[in-house]
Amino acid sequence: MIAAATTAVPVTWLLARSAGLVAFALLTLALTLGLALSTRLLGNKRGKMLLGWHQTLMWTGLAMVVLHGTALALDPIMHFGFVGVLVPGMAPWRPLPVAAGIVTGWIMLALAASFHVRRRIGQRRWRLIHYASFAAFAVGLYHALNVGTDLVATRGLVFAGIVSAPVVWLVVARILLPRPGARKALAVATPPAPATTEQHPSEERKTLVPA
Amino acid sequence: MRNLWATIFATWALFAVLAVLAWTRPLPAAQPANVPGAVVVQSKNGSSHLVVVQSGTGAAHATTRTSPTPAG
Repeated sequence: MIAAATTAVPVTWLLARSAGLVAFALLTLALTLGLALSTRLLGNKRGKMLLGWHQTLMWTGLAMVVLHGTALALDPIMHFGFVGVLVPGMAPWRPLPVAAGIVTGWIMLALAASFHVRRRIGQRRWRLIHYASFAAFAVGLYHALNVGTDLVATRGLVFAGIVSAPVVWLVVARILLPRPGARKALAVATPPAPATTEQHPSEERKTLVPA
Repeated sequence: MRNLWATIFATWALFAVLAVLAWTRPLPAAQPANVPGAVVVQSKNGSSHLVVVQSGTGAAHATTRTSPTPAG
């Protein structure tokens, strides 16, 4: 009996770890795509299609978060229970980093749901809610690095670097690049520049030499 | 269609990571092999004896029989 317990594959534990890793990857991809969309770095033509993928990745990532939580709640060794994976601070093991993960999950749910009530809440409020995705990413990364048993030491640092680099780069691009609306307004406000600021030497000679 | 592709991709990724984690899972420490060994036993008078312990071909578990109580 004891031998069976020690050699048996811990299905729920492995499922929880793999679902957590896939969820983090999908949600990071969704965030990166959202940032790329807001900076218009991928162009305007495929905006609608990419926005669709942004939402789909968000919901798929959330499905993985649900699987991650359910597997942990049912794990016979961790003894989290459903309250422990749904309510921040109720986990019996490392409550603070686990709470960070739970908060990330709830924020992601609010963000995904916000797409469906966008017209009702208005563009401004929707945008404000969307700013929470940066906090969710930071808190989620803290959760992954502190309780993720697969992201320890050098592996954890490499993982943090890989997932953070595109996000940080796009955030900086978004801050530094003028907003698409501002770009249009700038183009309208600026008077059209003269066709040529410097005349070609041959053209200059033509103007000087009388016909 | 997009949702279907996302589901297929996510499920594939989940199983791929699951397989890697299961494959690289550290196995429980193996029981020491039941091989004959030798121990040095020191007797009451101070002399040492080398005792060869036979490999366990019989019962591997501890006996439940109690030792007889010393007389007197």
